[in-house]
Amino acid sequence: MDLLDLIDTIQSIADGVLFGTTYALLGIGFTLIFGVMHKINLSFAAASIGAAYASLLILSAVKAPAVVVFLMAAAAGGVLGGLVYLVGFKFIPLANPLATLMSTVGLLLLIDEIIVHTTAGVPLNYPALFSDVIVPIGPFNLRGDLMFVFVLGCVCMTVLLLLLYRTKLGLATRAVSQQPTASQLCGIGIMRVNILTFVITGVVGGIAGAMTGAAIGMLSPLLSLPLTVKGLIVTVIGGLGSIPGAIVAGLVVGGLENFFQFLRGVSERDLYIMLLLFAFLVFRPGGIFTVAAGRD
Amino acid sequence: MDFYLGLIQIIGVHTLLGLSAYCVLLTGQVSLAQAGFFAIGAYVAGMLTVLLHWPLVLALIVSAILGGAMACAVGFPALRVKGLMLVVATAAFGEAVRLFFFNFTYQVQSGAILLGPHGGEGFRQIRYFPEHGWGTLDVVLFIWTIVVLVMAMLWWMDRSRVGAVLRAVGEDELAAQSTGINITAVKVSAMTIGGIIAGIGGGIFAHYTTHIEHIQFGIVLATFAIAYPILGGLSNVFGTLLAVIFIQGLLIEGLRFLGDWRNLLFGGLIVLAMNIRPRGLLDAGVLMTLKRLVSRNGERKGA
Repeated sequence: MDLLDLIDTIQSIADGVLFGTTYALLGIGFTLIFGVMHKINLSFAAASIGAAYASLLILSAVKAPAVVVFLMAAAAGGVLGGLVYLVGFKFIPLANPLATLMSTVGLLLLIDEIIVHTTAGVPLNYPALFSDVIVPIGPFNLRGDLMFVFVLGCVCMTVLLLLLYRTKLGLATRAVSQQPTASQLCGIGIMRVNILTFVITGVVGGIAGAMTGAAIGMLSPLLSLPLTVKGLIVTVIGGLGSIPGAIVAGLVVGGLENFFQFLRGVSERDLYIMLLLFAFLVFRPGGIFTVAAGRD
Repeated sequence: MDFYLGLIQIIGVHTLLGLSAYCVLLTGQVSLAQAGFFAIGAYVAGMLTVLLHWPLVLALIVSAILGGAMACAVGFPALRVKGLMLVVATAAFGEAVRLFFFNFTYQVQSGAILLGPHGGEGFRQIRYFPEHGWGTLDVVLFIWTIVVLVMAMLWWMDRSRVGAVLRAVGEDELAAQSTGINITAVKVSAMTIGGIIAGIGGGIFAHYTTHIEHIQFGIVLATFAIAYPILGGLSNVFGTLLAVIFIQGLLIEGLRFLGDWRNLLFGGLIVLAMNIRPRGLLDAGVLMTLKRLVSRNGERKGA
């Protein structure tokens, strides 16, 4: 491999890592919901894309600068998260994990179809910020829109970590995820924590959806299934319930995805990500940051 | 008429798909890999009848064996993990199979046309039924003979010791393990049976649609596969059949007059059904009521 190829390879990995913050945010969302509810919310990525769409809808009604779109997406994501909890989780008994799995699948289809219905299935352009800025560093070029996505993702993660580890709400969330009964005995309202977790993950998801839109330049309901799969893969590689794991795994998956795309083309790249996942499941089922688990 | 016969074919094949997920769900595992085994069955059976001119039944047997073997191979590493991890692992396997066929080209010149799978364009000209003079009705009968056979086998399995063992693992793994059940063996066998059924289903699917492509075997099909047994209830095999009729017959075909709104209603109705009947449409309570009704009628007739 000569020098030019090497530069191209590093460039594509860097682009991927920058975009990987989106995956990291989605992974965090899946992990948090799994942490408190011990249930999978398969509609999470669809709701994130839905929130990004909703922000576009708001923006078309109200004249506002493009930055506002991200705030709107976050707000819409929070509302959608609360709705998902109400419709898909609240009224289904805890003893039926399969029923909630199915109801979130139903919600995934429902959200996708609402999007298709309101937009007639046509992809919409999403406002990208700093898309004309290109920062040259040595032989490499960093795209402004990707840099913005990366910075936004990092800010979002920092706020989330502060929220989880420095506030009472975060303490309550972590307590419920460790031992629901004991935390209830300490006076924590489990229902309240559950709803708040859904709203917070919804906000994170909304931002992730907006970031996806900004990085790709458009939104399409076709994005929700691949993002669901990628988010789940990131969750597993990072280790269930581990937020730092989800962050690192998101960046790694983003980088490797672009690396394989550069090497083998877009039609084969996901195949290698799946193989990576299998490698993790076989050798490190507990994720990146746990000691290798023994067989059960 | 042909429309209804076609619908009955679809219901039959999807029942096989649902039953393959049913076996795995009995042991309490959620597998999104069924679409992958279905795809393997479809491609293998199609290639055997088209490229090697094998008879259909033989091709179906081979695709069943391959589906089962693949499921067994996937089962061992995947079943070391549980819950969400297993969902992701199996979903990833299904996607990997789909991507494999997306990149898989093996074509043979036959007369003026090329036969065989061709990457993203799919696998055309699986014309076994028209070439051998099978009418629509023959195909319907053939599919439903297999469906009835599989359902009878699962029904019998459910009532035997095997079914009890499967359900024991599904209800409480620790308790099952402490009574001396080898849970890994049970889970892998359930997965293998599921793979065999999915392989047969896929083989039939390839032949009645005559054209298969990778996109048909995506994650949507995998979620449909687990949706049938969950929606229908895991108390017995008829729940799955009922759910397939409910989804394919009522929600997809029956609501066509609603136009665009049909798709909106589809997801909403699944959510509603899960909220109202979290244990499935045909759960233990409904079965008890049905049994009581039947026995009361019987008494009246006897008296």
